[in-house]
Amino acid sequence: MAKLILLCLKFIILSSAVEAVFEDQVGKFDWRQEYVGKVRFSHFDTHVQSSKKVLLATENNVFAALNTRTGELFWRHVDKTGPEGNIDALLQHGQDVVLVVGNGRLLRSWEINVGGLNWEIVLDSGSFQSACLVGQQDNVKHVAVLKKTVISFHYLSNGHQKWIENLPESETVDYQSVYSDGNGEVYALGIVPHSHIAIVAYSVEDGEIIKQMSVEAAWLSNIQASCVVISQGMLTCVDPLTVSLYMLDLHTESQMTQIPLQSLGLEVAPGFHPVLVSTQPNPGRQPLSEFFLQLGPDYYQLLQLNNGQIVTLRDFKPAMLVSFATTGEKTVAAVMSPKNKTASSLNLFSAETGRRLLDTTLIFNMDPYGGKPEKLHVQAFLKKDDSVGYRVMVQTEDHTLTFIQQPGRVMWTREEALSDVVTMEMVDLPLTGTQAELEGEFGKKADGLMSMVLKRLSSQLILLQAWIAHLWKLFYDARKPRSQVKNEVTIENLSRDEFNLQKMMVMVTSSLKRSCTVHPLSFFPVKLFGIDSKTGSILWRHYLDNIPSNAAFKLMVQRTTAHFPHPPQCTLLIKDKDTGLATLHVFNPIFGKKSHVSPPALPQPILQSLMLPLMDQDYAKVLLLVDDQYKVSAFPSTKNVLQQLQEMASSIFFYLVDSTQGRLSGYRLRTDLSTELIWEVVIPAEVQKIVSVKGKRPNEHVHSQGRVMGDRSVLYKYLNPNLLAVVTESTDLHQERSFVGILLIDGVTGRIIHEAVQRKARGPVHVVHSENWVVYEYWSTKSRRNEFSVIELYEGMELYNSTVFSSLDRPHAPQVLQQSYIFPSYISTLEATLTEKGITSRHLLIGLPSGGILSLPKMFLDPRRPEIVSEQSREENLIPYAPELLIRTEWFINYNQTVSRVRGIYTAPSGLESTCLVVAYGLDIYQTRVYPSKQFDVLKDDYDYMLISSVLFALFFATMISKRLAEVKLLNRAWR
Amino acid sequence: MHLTALLWVCMQAALVVAWCFTDMETGPGAGVSTQPNGDRFKIEGRAIVPGIKTQDWVSTARILVEGEEYVGFVRTDGSFAVNDVPSGSYVVEVVTPNYRFEPVRVDITSKGKMRARLVNYIKTSEVIRQPYPLQIRASGPHTYFMKRETWGWTDFLMNPMVMMMVLPLLIIVLLPKVVNTNDPEMRKEMEQSMNMLNPNPELPDVSELMTKLFSGSKGSSKAGGSSKGTRPAVKRR
Repeated sequence: MAKLILLCLKFIILSSAVEAVFEDQVGKFDWRQEYVGKVRFSHFDTHVQSSKKVLLATENNVFAALNTRTGELFWRHVDKTGPEGNIDALLQHGQDVVLVVGNGRLLRSWEINVGGLNWEIVLDSGSFQSACLVGQQDNVKHVAVLKKTVISFHYLSNGHQKWIENLPESETVDYQSVYSDGNGEVYALGIVPHSHIAIVAYSVEDGEIIKQMSVEAAWLSNIQASCVVISQGMLTCVDPLTVSLYMLDLHTESQMTQIPLQSLGLEVAPGFHPVLVSTQPNPGRQPLSEFFLQLGPDYYQLLQLNNGQIVTLRDFKPAMLVSFATTGEKTVAAVMSPKNKTASSLNLFSAETGRRLLDTTLIFNMDPYGGKPEKLHVQAFLKKDDSVGYRVMVQTEDHTLTFIQQPGRVMWTREEALSDVVTMEMVDLPLTGTQAELEGEFGKKADGLMSMVLKRLSSQLILLQAWIAHLWKLFYDARKPRSQVKNEVTIENLSRDEFNLQKMMVMVTSSLKRSCTVHPLSFFPVKLFGIDSKTGSILWRHYLDNIPSNAAFKLMVQRTTAHFPHPPQCTLLIKDKDTGLATLHVFNPIFGKKSHVSPPALPQPILQSLMLPLMDQDYAKVLLLVDDQYKVSAFPSTKNVLQQLQEMASSIFFYLVDSTQGRLSGYRLRTDLSTELIWEVVIPAEVQKIVSVKGKRPNEHVHSQGRVMGDRSVLYKYLNPNLLAVVTESTDLHQERSFVGILLIDGVTGRIIHEAVQRKARGPVHVVHSENWVVYEYWSTKSRRNEFSVIELYEGMELYNSTVFSSLDRPHAPQVLQQSYIFPSYISTLEATLTEKGITSRHLLIGLPSGGILSLPKMFLDPRRPEIVSEQSREENLIPYAPELLIRTEWFINYNQTVSRVRGIYTAPSGLESTCLVVAYGLDIYQTRVYPSKQFDVLKDDYDYMLISSVLFALFFATMISKRLAEVKLLNRAWR
Repeated sequence: MHLTALLWVCMQAALVVAWCFTDMETGPGAGVSTQPNGDRFKIEGRAIVPGIKTQDWVSTARILVEGEEYVGFVRTDGSFAVNDVPSGSYVVEVVTPNYRFEPVRVDITSKGKMRARLVNYIKTSEVIRQPYPLQIRASGPHTYFMKRETWGWTDFLMNPMVMMMVLPLLIIVLLPKVVNTNDPEMRKEMEQSMNMLNPNPELPDVSELMTKLFSGSKGSSKAGGSSKGTRPAVKRR
């Protein structure tokens, strides 16, 4: 009992020693940006006049409401990833939104003011085809869901099923669309490709089939792609082969009437599949009789069905995008047409007549580094004078949303691509002009004593001038009210701060992971961002197109900003996973501009890339690329570099991983830039598969070589920089037989340093490898819990060779210590903090599914934690072993700023040893600083200047007064 | 009457559920195996934040089952249901950024029988029943922040170091003022009291006294004996 109390006490003491966020620090060093992803459906909330909501359903399975004034989120609901959370349809009625989720598995109704769920029901299995709201005389009460074999009808108020009917002949007929126009009938439209259209009309009341007909249509293959319903239930289809429109009245059984487009004087651009666009503003009423026909990539025609006749209203050429919007009783068509190279103009046209509405021009300036506009989301509203005004949300190919008001004022932009960050780096900001001037002084060749003195004087003068200007600015700003002082960050005024706390975050975004749900022909936008780490403002963006659909990315910093006047240089390696072919994109990370350096063409598939610490004469680090012939090419490949490589070749080793065959192989570089195999480890692929291989971070420093034990002896760490941690998972997933294995392999010699197997465990395994330890996390199938395990390697009490570590000359195997712990939560990602010199104690940063980022001291994951407390372990400050690790909310570095679906945590050292910069990315991006050992090298931000100065003054006056008193006393004594 | 009937039904239901689970107690692995027939069940419950209107927190709340394996949302009245969950044993959590909820383990048999129990990661087979459908009550707001060390005069004054410094100072400065040392009667009294405090007229060397004291205490366990032992030593000098 006493021991338990002691343990508790110890815990309390330790946990109070660990840092946490103070309430007044909220938002001071950290920021969060919330994203939703690429918009699939959008709906402006129109049920209340002057509503500020726009509802978005996205390809990231997120349903959210945005504030149209600011672009911020009102609320957001993040469903599970993958096809089970996929949002198939969004239907809005009043203050309710109905979503069909997971290929028609769930039907959900949301209350949009609160953002809460009204109801959720499970639908019968079957793949989802279409859904629509069904109303009668402006009174919408039901929703119809069409699946492959059934049609079901639900109440909007509670989701209860009113009726469900099997679709007739569903084995042969492919039902694709459902339509209703408020006359008490629901039509299911199906097709037998290249044969006929099947139309089934159900009664809204009881689901009885009112009529059923099949119409010959041998030319038609897909209803959703080529047909719309207009006017009084006229099914209108377009056939690219015969270049004609076909029309069919759903109410009367009849034949399709063919209207050749030539008879309307229209022509289709060669090779283009025409598209029809119609609108049904109110589900309880008929659709409009006006519709768009797209005849070419930039050619639209507004048509009208008038007394059974198609009339051309207006042609739009060139027009990039069109969209209908309705407000009140008025429906307008918004048309975007190119104006010049960088801008396009939007205009409103009356849908009924095709007349252009006055004063509705809006200019949209396109970002030269962005994508082309892809979709228009128009919010129309009635002005006071009953004319139609509008705002528009333009969606571009790079997933950017831009909300524009007339006459072209951008109200907000959202870079939704940032919800899909794949990799990132942090780059130091450049020095300011004056700092660079000083630096330049040292770089140049000496040219005489006098001129050097003069140069020094002049640069000092410049510094003085800059300082005075800075002081003046401070003084000037202090007089102004705080709200007016703006510190706009632009690329021009970017410069490194004293402690290098502000950096440039280079982020690579790509939505490739969901390639299964995206149309295979659509291409995959890759966008690079440069973000100021202090404020989170996006300083540059660069859109790359022509990226293969299945690419992997690796971002490398080849030259930092330290080598003025050479510009910093980043290289993005883009590798097609299928073919292995790679391309390089070389750019300046501060400005985002493509570099003048032309990257080499890589005709061969690339197996591995590695950055060497070697530099060419321009201080660019050398990137080695290994192709499938095991030949090595270098970038940059100047003579200087090749010469250095030849000299160094015998000490350059690399490894390749083939996870399909379970082969790990080590290679050595030869002087002729070919390679030789020196070791190979085969892990039988039929038993276990390699899931990850982790080396140490190259920029990691270890300060202390060993640990001082309780008896004052030193336990030396085994600091092998070439050590690889290989994690394997069993292919057998049965809970009794599955296991997780970890191998520690020396990457140079292939020597297996340690092997551990965790039985009755399975992945996903998260692993961190640093200093002399490896921490990994797995799921224990036996006890159904997550467990952490830590392996630490020690050389022992003596160091074999304390000056240099060589993998080839280390005769003694290290001592291995291991300990495991229970972790009471799932984890999403794992990373360790990193500081400049490695003096600060380490913390593990754990991304939790709840959105919290836990900063867990490494101290808790220490295999030397004793089960029985002894004097020595107390001396060493070891915490007694406790099986369960605690999650304390005080350790959440992001307090209530949760990061949804956190996928990665990036840590970077700052110029201060105590401070580590942290960026967590997932659906959201969160940036903050952590101080694993508290801020020992700077004054705390709550440092009480008042107290220290008042004490100083008090002491000063006290001495003055006491001195005076003493004098008086002496005098008095002398008089006595 | 109606209420009692309901209660009776509840009791019976609880009994039935308890009986169904007797075969489950064998081990923690019993409920895990995924069913080949792929029956899917629904986990239901209600989340309550005492004193807060539901519309103020439901939009930020999510129900996570086994991490993000299954996700549910909270209805506007605070109730929730997670659909499409196969049989097995799951940890159900209500996640909000602002309120703390305790997780609950829910076991679903292959027949769809449910029970809820406290999560215990160390003794995984321990069963402490929780109500099902789940009633998860927030245990208060999350405490994310540390309290700043505030500085006050009382803290400063109550500091033991300061006390140790200030009190003797006060005694040294104030005592001579309070007690009139010039009064002969008083002086006599003081001398007497000093004699009582320190029986030997000349004070011994402090270090010497200390060594004596320690060596003396080693020899005899009694404190009185040691003090007696010191006296002759002092006198000998």
